[in-house]
Amino acid sequence: MRRTVLIALLMGLVLPGPAHANEPLPFVRGSWAKLRAAHAGQPTIVHFWGLTCGPCLVELPNWGKLLAERNDLRLVLLAADPLPQPPEQVENTLGRAGLGTAESWSFTDRFYERLRYEIDPTWSGELPRTVMIGRNGTINVLPGVADLSKVRAWLDEQSKLTALIPTQPTR
Amino acid sequence: MRRALLLGVAALLSGGVAVAQHQQHNMPAMTAFAADAREAFTATPTFAADGTLWVVRGTADRVLVSRSADFGKSFGPQVSVTAEPINMDWGPDSRPQILVTPSGRLVVTYAIFKDKQFNGRVFATYSDDKGASFAEPRSITADNSSQRFQQTALDPDGRVFAAWIDKRGAAAARAAGKPYPGAALAFAWSSDGRSFGDTTVAFDNTCECCRLGIAFAGPGRPAVLFRNVFGGTTRDHAVVTFKDAVTPGPLRRVSVDNWNIDACPHHGPSLAIAADGSYHAAWFTGGDARQGVFYARADDASSAFSEPRALSAPDRQPARPYLLAIGNTIHLVWKEFDGNRTRILGQASHDSGRSWSSAHSIADTDDASDHPLLIAYKDRAYLSWLTKTEGYRLIPLEDAP
Repeated sequence: MRRTVLIALLMGLVLPGPAHANEPLPFVRGSWAKLRAAHAGQPTIVHFWGLTCGPCLVELPNWGKLLAERNDLRLVLLAADPLPQPPEQVENTLGRAGLGTAESWSFTDRFYERLRYEIDPTWSGELPRTVMIGRNGTINVLPGVADLSKVRAWLDEQSKLTALIPTQPTR
Repeated sequence: MRRALLLGVAALLSGGVAVAQHQQHNMPAMTAFAADAREAFTATPTFAADGTLWVVRGTADRVLVSRSADFGKSFGPQVSVTAEPINMDWGPDSRPQILVTPSGRLVVTYAIFKDKQFNGRVFATYSDDKGASFAEPRSITADNSSQRFQQTALDPDGRVFAAWIDKRGAAAARAAGKPYPGAALAFAWSSDGRSFGDTTVAFDNTCECCRLGIAFAGPGRPAVLFRNVFGGTTRDHAVVTFKDAVTPGPLRRVSVDNWNIDACPHHGPSLAIAADGSYHAAWFTGGDARQGVFYARADDASSAFSEPRALSAPDRQPARPYLLAIGNTIHLVWKEFDGNRTRILGQASHDSGRSWSSAHSIADTDDASDHPLLIAYKDRAYLSWLTKTEGYRLIPLEDAP
């Protein structure tokens, strides 16, 4: 399984979905465009965190609770440590926070300037960071520990938009 | 499969030294992956009085010292300061330090992680035989809470000043169930470079994950620039100038950037003091007031800092500024990324930071790199930079008008 995912990724063929994403996917050059494309047209929240980021580890379980609470939350976890971290540790940490089933990626290139640049040239790597990508591609950034009431309000807003535009369920 | 691939990539990316070490130590493959991925990748230089360049490298599990008699063109063998592998602190702003005392003693300090919560321990060692061997490393302080981001510097009288980020206050507060934002700025002196004296906490509630900037206002009078935590939440910069060797003066805020972030920027400042006593600060911020890398100057140890000057555009990922004063000439470098290559940009001022040359590119690379550092020998400034692709480089700075 793991091998298949990796080879597919290396060949740039497929983007694994949330169903089998409890192992972090290697986030390398070009991954951001693939991630965006895979969720295009769907309200998606990408939460940037890191094993080396204390406040992130405190915050993570709140995301786990929110994920359990809101079935309209399409959540992607992206571990953006300045140095690549062991995948097992990323996986275990997310599992403990109730995020074991969410789609998960982990920076796997020490040339982090390039990875950050592809995501947002103005982002210098501060963690945590939450990027909310609306149905129409509009991006809202919550730097630092996220105020989840803002996240809920954003989800409500997106749901209203969804109601106006008939489409398939988001999850 | 995945492991093998990652190992292969890591091997391609890393220098021959690190790979050879893994083989040498017969690490299990999994440990090798973890260690290699999180390998420290730093090179910190210093010049001895005779012009010998000493470089200390931080790698996955070793602190390696080597010397160059030809300004970095070639190096002698790398000597490990420890007999055994260590669990190196690979934090992005952490690096081993090296200096040479007036008597010719090499002093090396480094930090290790002592647990998985990133608590650290700073060790110091020395060599009296020109780096052929090193004394058994000793903790820089007796407290066992956590120390990281140590920085050492020689004062004008040749004594060794060490400052670091210390968590004894945070640990005590946690034990007492009290809040304690950040960590503390701690320091100690060594008169001979062999051992350090008592530790003093200069300030509580500093940012816990950023390097320090050190310069001297005079013998026994260090000045330290650091990211403070103002009001429990605002991570802006402050400078302290010591009244005497053990008495920190008041905090002077460098800039109101208003960076309210409950997180670790891993991005510390740089400080230089010119011959005329003027202070020069460069730092990174993501505050409400400004974002990016900035420079400001102050006429002396007590006057206010000038309005911050942006060194680059925020969308070029400006980072890791570094300052060096030679007389009243100030050299300033920083990193930028243009979407393809990382560049070191530089500026110089010959009037104590009042006017500056235009920024020019000094070096660049196409892969991961260490922070740019500046050192001087006989009034000549050099950029010291370690990159994955090119390896270690010592580049003399052209004194651009």
